[in-house]
Amino acid sequence: MTLGRLRRWVPDAVWIERSEDNSALTRRVRARLPEIPVYVVDDLSVAEPGDFAAGKRRLVVQRHRGTFLQHCPAGTTGMVCCNYLVMSSASNCPFDCSYCFLQDYLTNNPAVKVFTNVADGLSEVDAVLRAHPERTFRIGTGELADSLALDHLTDLSSELVPFFADRANAVLELKTKSDCVDNLLCLDPKDRVVVSWSVNAPVIVAVEEAGTIPLEDRVAAAARVQAAGYKVGFHFDPLIAHDGWEDGYRDAIDLIFRGLDTGRVAWVSLGSLRMTPRLKAAIKARPLRGQLLATELVPGADGKERVWRGLRVKMYRRLLEWLRQVDDRMPLYICMEPAGVWEKVFGEAPPDRTVAQRLVAELR
Amino acid sequence: MTDSEAQTAIRAYAGARNYSAATTERWLRLDAGDGGALLQLAAELRLGENQLRDLWDWAEETAERDGVTLHHVLAAEPIGAARARKLGRNDKLKAIKAALRRLRFPQLTDVEDRLADLVRTMQLPRTVRVALPEHLEGDQVRIEITATSKTAWRTAAAALLAAAESPACTELFTLLGEAP
Repeated sequence: MTLGRLRRWVPDAVWIERSEDNSALTRRVRARLPEIPVYVVDDLSVAEPGDFAAGKRRLVVQRHRGTFLQHCPAGTTGMVCCNYLVMSSASNCPFDCSYCFLQDYLTNNPAVKVFTNVADGLSEVDAVLRAHPERTFRIGTGELADSLALDHLTDLSSELVPFFADRANAVLELKTKSDCVDNLLCLDPKDRVVVSWSVNAPVIVAVEEAGTIPLEDRVAAAARVQAAGYKVGFHFDPLIAHDGWEDGYRDAIDLIFRGLDTGRVAWVSLGSLRMTPRLKAAIKARPLRGQLLATELVPGADGKERVWRGLRVKMYRRLLEWLRQVDDRMPLYICMEPAGVWEKVFGEAPPDRTVAQRLVAELR
Repeated sequence: MTDSEAQTAIRAYAGARNYSAATTERWLRLDAGDGGALLQLAAELRLGENQLRDLWDWAEETAERDGVTLHHVLAAEPIGAARARKLGRNDKLKAIKAALRRLRFPQLTDVEDRLADLVRTMQLPRTVRVALPEHLEGDQVRIEITATSKTAWRTAAAALLAAAESPACTELFTLLGEAP
């Protein structure tokens, strides 16, 4: 079975944690999915299918237990860290990208989940921001989930955007592969919210990013939010060394920036495909996969496989050259790379954890 | 060999070598041709589980990339040539692994070959050993001098100094820094 393009995701069924059945978020989800079977349960384990793909057809509405705010797992020892914080407002994503680390990370609980108590998460964020007024924070919701792909069901952006718009020392990043931006258009981000898109060469989008919309539709959505007052960002991540990658990424850059105000691009990041042994095993166990495992990946110091360093440097340098041709003022960074690669690519490695400070400072 | 004979033989081999259930099950899920080819290789080299898995993963990824079967990869010319060499078990395993790595990582091994050529053109004495970063993951070259006398030391140092001034040295670091 192949996954068609998902314009607005609709699950096959919804499981609701009984204690949360009367929450505002649950009521919104129920109202927007009147035709979909709903099961109100005490034990949510019944909602978890054994199969990762089946999990992407189920929605679980539940309370989040534990901490909402965490450090981005990319901050591995030996890598230059951009000090990104992740706020978990949901878990898993309706899209089914072949390279996605969630295939490993969420292998035992793959159902798509949204959390009813995001207000608790915002209180957590508020406490951190108040405790450190001297620091600026870059916080995203798009690490364990797509920030916007479920927004037509949850309206979470309507809680998140006003909250961050009123905070002086934080920027929220909503990272997505969708064009679910309607809710954003009537909100004022006050330059404290960046909407960003994960992007790739068109052939990679078509082959490796099952269920996602084409690149041109992501760009059209970016143009809409930019016109509504948001800064936008783009993440070329993962860069994949496929046949014709130079043409592919050049085309993607041309397509993306053709119709945008590059002066209102908050940042562009580049990250090479990386694969843990467990992710590789998870990908191999899936029935459908693209040509991902055929790329020449070798193990690095952090145990993750990437294309060999000289090729990564070449890819980064090419893309940076093209991005600077578009507008050399756009803030650029690379993700999960050691200082040595930063030096080769940018001529310098930023002191640890200053990347976020720089990026946020450049927003002002 | 029929499917059932192949499965029996795989079970027997994996059982005798204490392979994990997961690896054995993965092996048994292969079609008879692929499973049999893997068994032949394993038996020929008396492979333990981890040794087999390394070769298997590379062969499988190569097969997937090239749209051929696993047994096709294991029968490919460079692998066949390595298997045919009159070598002891460990050296043969090393040769097969190198041949398979070459199939799996053609771009990387091309660059590694080019770097090795560059080191050769420097004509360093045998007392100087140049080690490139593993999988070229890095740009640090490790140079080791072995000297048993002041003269040998001076000779090695002079050769190294000359090599450092050569175009080969420049090209070496350029290649390590960025893919061609």
